[in-house]
Amino acid sequence: MTEGNDLINLIIDGIEIAVEPGTHVIDAAERAGVLIPRYCYHPGIPSRPAQCRVCLVEIEGQPKLQPSCKMTVTEGMVVHTASEEAEDARRAVIELLLVNHPLDCPICDAAGQCMLQDYALETEQLRSRLHEEKLVQGRDRIADDILYFADRCIICTRCVRFMSEVAGDETLIVAQRGDRNVIDTFPGRDLDHPFQGNIVDVCPVGALVHEDFLFKARFWDMDQTASICPGCSTGCNVTIDVKENQIVRVKPRHNPEVNSYWMCDHGRKHLVMSNRGERADVPLIRPDGRLVAADWSEALAWVADRLLEVTGGDAVVSPDSANESLFFLRELLDRLGIGGGSFRVPTGEEATLAGFPKLALRAERAPNTTGAELFGFARVDDPAPSPAGAGLIVLEDPLADHEPEWGGEAAFFLYVGGRLSSAARNAHAVLPVTGFAEMEGSFTNFEGRVQRFHQALRPPGLARPAWMVLSRLIAELDLRRGAETRTETPLEVGQAFAAMAVATPELGGFEWDSIGPKGARLVAAGDAVSADVA
Amino acid sequence: MSRRLHPAVAGAQPFQLAERDPDAPLFGSEEGRERLEAILSRYPTRRAALLPLLGYAQELHGWISTGDMEEIAEVLELTPAYVWSVASFYTMYNKHPAGRHMIQVCTNISCHLNGAPRVLEEFLEQTGTVEGETTEDGRFTVLEAECLGACGFATAVQINDAYHENVTPEKVAEILASLDGPESS
Amino acid sequence: MAYPYRDDRETTTILSRHMGEPEARSLSGWLERGGYEALRKAVQMEPDEITEVVKESGLRGRGGAGFPTGMKWSFMPSEPSGPHYLCANADESEPGAFKDREIMRWTPHLLIEGCLIAARAIRAEHVYIYVRGEFFPVIRVLNQAVVEAYEAGYIGESVCDSGWGCDLTVHIGAGAYIAGEETGLMSSLMGGRAEPWMKPPFPAQRGVFGAPTTVNNVETLASVPGIVMNGSAWYRQWGSEKSPGTKMWCCSGNLTKPGNYELELGLPLGEIIHDVCGGPPEGRKVKAVLPGGSSTAFLTADELDCVTTYEGLQEAGSALGTASPIVLDETAEIVPAMRRIAQFYAHESCGQCVQCREGTAWITKILRRIEEGDGEPRDLDTLYDLCDQLTGRTICVLADSVVFPLRSSLDKFRHEYEALMRRSASVAT
Ligand SMILES: Cc1cc2nc3c(=O)[nH]c(=O)nc-3n(C[C@H](O)[C@H](O)[C@H](O)COP(=O)(O)O)c2cc1C
Ligand code: SF4
Ligand code: SF4
Ligand code: SF4
Ligand code: FES
Ligand code: FES
Repeated sequence: MTEGNDLINLIIDGIEIAVEPGTHVIDAAERAGVLIPRYCYHPGIPSRPAQCRVCLVEIEGQPKLQPSCKMTVTEGMVVHTASEEAEDARRAVIELLLVNHPLDCPICDAAGQCMLQDYALETEQLRSRLHEEKLVQGRDRIADDILYFADRCIICTRCVRFMSEVAGDETLIVAQRGDRNVIDTFPGRDLDHPFQGNIVDVCPVGALVHEDFLFKARFWDMDQTASICPGCSTGCNVTIDVKENQIVRVKPRHNPEVNSYWMCDHGRKHLVMSNRGERADVPLIRPDGRLVAADWSEALAWVADRLLEVTGGDAVVSPDSANESLFFLRELLDRLGIGGGSFRVPTGEEATLAGFPKLALRAERAPNTTGAELFGFARVDDPAPSPAGAGLIVLEDPLADHEPEWGGEAAFFLYVGGRLSSAARNAHAVLPVTGFAEMEGSFTNFEGRVQRFHQALRPPGLARPAWMVLSRLIAELDLRRGAETRTETPLEVGQAFAAMAVATPELGGFEWDSIGPKGARLVAAGDAVSADVA
Repeated sequence: MSRRLHPAVAGAQPFQLAERDPDAPLFGSEEGRERLEAILSRYPTRRAALLPLLGYAQELHGWISTGDMEEIAEVLELTPAYVWSVASFYTMYNKHPAGRHMIQVCTNISCHLNGAPRVLEEFLEQTGTVEGETTEDGRFTVLEAECLGACGFATAVQINDAYHENVTPEKVAEILASLDGPESS
Repeated sequence: MAYPYRDDRETTTILSRHMGEPEARSLSGWLERGGYEALRKAVQMEPDEITEVVKESGLRGRGGAGFPTGMKWSFMPSEPSGPHYLCANADESEPGAFKDREIMRWTPHLLIEGCLIAARAIRAEHVYIYVRGEFFPVIRVLNQAVVEAYEAGYIGESVCDSGWGCDLTVHIGAGAYIAGEETGLMSSLMGGRAEPWMKPPFPAQRGVFGAPTTVNNVETLASVPGIVMNGSAWYRQWGSEKSPGTKMWCCSGNLTKPGNYELELGLPLGEIIHDVCGGPPEGRKVKAVLPGGSSTAFLTADELDCVTTYEGLQEAGSALGTASPIVLDETAEIVPAMRRIAQFYAHESCGQCVQCREGTAWITKILRRIEEGDGEPRDLDTLYDLCDQLTGRTICVLADSVVFPLRSSLDKFRHEYEALMRRSASVAT
């Protein structure tokens, strides 16, 4: 092989570009800013069957058009992606696909993000020339939550090859032959794989649909937000689709260091369910035995006053909390002279993605265990006992499986969270905070990769990010204690992150804006900034 | 029949026969195990034995059931879905029980030019069935076939493992009469 | 007993000489006819020597593409780093072709002998004969011959006691024309759907089971023993410089004496049709001929003086293909015939490439509509456009194969299409 720095020079549509040997023409073109249509090729699936023939290009010196997904670059290659012949071939592939395509875009879930619709519009083919009856093939269930619409399928086999090559599970196949080809499972058996939902994402048209998404939203009615899956400690990069302040769908977002193009089904369900259910949406305080609503200034002042009276105590946190929230809680505890603090990690069965083994649905079903440990909280198996007669601060642990009287014996019990279980209701004050999809922040995944997530939903009522709430509480305390240096209260996540990074050697040098799309690995305290910062 | 097959031809036995035993075990019998071993010994991979074993199942049972496919998948360490993908690609594998006499009339170009459509019609009429279906008594399945590689002897008709050549509509009755009746011999 | 379709010319020396002689099927009968002499000779030769003789003979592949056989063999690595394989392509499914089946049915040992000689030349350790599944009677004959040859030591650990070993296995298909395409054949042989793959890798680099492989047609292989026995000059006494030797001609359609004839390459096509096959029955006139099987372009009655070599038929605008002239006489109609041909390709497309999967089906639908009198003039434009789209743009050349007859039928018999349309136009008004 040639040296890594021996680049291959070629010209694509008049643009000169140099790429590594072995690069395929379709990828080289993309780097030159030329997007060649593709159906069967998917960068996350190893095989390149070159069977859809929509990516044909003209390569000077070759008698026939060549599939750009299959051809590797050679020195001096001259490629024309938009020559008359190449465009004619592309137009024809679209037309031929439309021959048996129902053109039911108005009711198709993929409309707006369908690679057939897109290219058909691009090649100005709104109506096909076919006068013959279309081959009608029904719709079929291929998994308990995935439907297959055969007449929309263009037999690109991405779904089949995802299952066999990436999931390592040869259960989805092409059956029959020729124009009778359909995607199928063994008669009477559905797919049953923890990563099967990805077949819906790789489908370039609307042939595979998650049943719980069916007809729920049109692409153009949804807002999309880049986020991180909180389903386990892997931290898959995702895009959250929101309609009317509800998460309706989650799709994986490419991160070659974490999840490639994929995510697991548990993560999808977890995310869609995560903002359902009743929420704490207003600060509550218990000035005289009963919890009553208060506004933020009143609540924070009242809580700060109470905290001044507390000597010693304990904290229970959640590995679902953002780094920033955990950091400010640690700051608060330090001021109160409370050490330690613990968290519990829900667990489940581990499942690895064979074709991209870095990605696993990890046994630790929480996004930020590493972050919780980084800020000095200890992992415990059992719910922390309620410390009688001392202070107790709970951050975002829902306390769902605790005794109803849990926490009641604490001298002062502060609950900072979003859901009011019976145990949480024993608190002397409840400060309502946003769930992860309602705020900005970062998680640190199992391997110490710090990744940012963005706000997808409007928070309920008066809920605010925990890092904001806790930092304001700290400011109130400092005020009462006449501290010399007043801490700046961060108003946005960048400031919160900066305060955290300054105080945390492992985050040395990171800034919110410099973390980049791949995330940044923690550094051992004292080391230089990790090379992963992109 | 405990005839021992030479391994070189063990995977290449005619598999569309009038005699069949739908209940015979595939690999539960000594013969079945021998056949399996002989076939496997000829290829560097287990997967390569798939077509020979599908043929074997049809030779034995007259068609290939989902149970057969599952059994074959198991011995070859393949998924049943993979086996189905392959089996459904090839037209000679019967995915449903077929008539004892599988009559395939070539209607491709050379036969077409020599009156094959009329021969097909005649077979359909005399057996009283429609193309692709099996008569109620389970005797006949009549199919339109692609070129049978006997174009110089048009119209070519294949009935189970035998070829009938230069078939004209007039010969249909005679051919049908030569096939055994509803009580299989 | 004379083979019913033998021509009385003297060129039936190589392939068809013993057709019609049931005794030639048995090993003893074959040995009496000089069988396995060529193999005995070959096992004493160096592999490259065999390849050299075949190269010099000018033998070209009989599977359709006409690729020079010796050259194909020379692509195989000469220092094997693992097993090599030979696949004998006996999937014969091209409409019009029925020669391989006759070779195997009458002279199975000729094929076996050719296989072993070729295997030695390409350093193969195992030969797979991939026989079309439908050929049950032929398979029985071939199986019997293989077992006999094994038992007599012509196949096995030490071929003809030479110390060189080679195995041979009969493998049968199950109804798929595309399994005849060489990469489709290998996909099928490996236990898969017979889906062709894009070359490179070429079979000689990475073929069946990932090993260097040569795929040769039955007739090609059956031609080899004669060449090895008698030398390249002997073979070159027939045919032309670029198309030496003899060839089986499978003649079908509207003919008085259809059948298989072994003929020297280079006779005028009209001579084969009229003198050898007696022309169309009842003195009718020829309308059109598909000279090389259903995958070649139509020639009209005026074009029959072309010479039946690879180059001659190419010059005439068609191809030698599988040397299977299908004759349509004046009673035959082009559109239904073309529809039936298109229907075949649509049925047999493996379905990977969009152009082929959708295109062959669409072509068939359009032709059927025209045939039924519902055509519109713009259908012809669509058909021409489809011809362009199905040419040179797919993984294998099955798509191209339907274009040859289709485009030539549109070019040469447009009036027959238009006549059907006028019929519909008059009904409509
Ligand atoms: C669609 C298609 C079908 C083919 N079918 C056959 C066949 O049945 N038999 C055959 O020998 N070659 C067939 N071929 C040609 C083979 O791909 C291959 O070229 C041939 O077997 C090589 O052998 P040869 O060099 O001896 O001719 C087919 C090719 C195509 C594209
Ligand atoms: S279902 Fe979608 S991904 Fe699968 S083959 Fe069809 S179009 Fe491609
Ligand atoms: S693997 Fe973990 S992070 Fe990724 S989608 Fe699944 S639950 Fe979410
Ligand atoms: S051209 Fe047709 S038969 Fe050949 S690979 Fe493509 S779809 Fe299959
Ligand atoms: S994307 Fe290249 S052939 Fe499908
Ligand atoms: S066309 Fe009928 S056998 Fe070939």
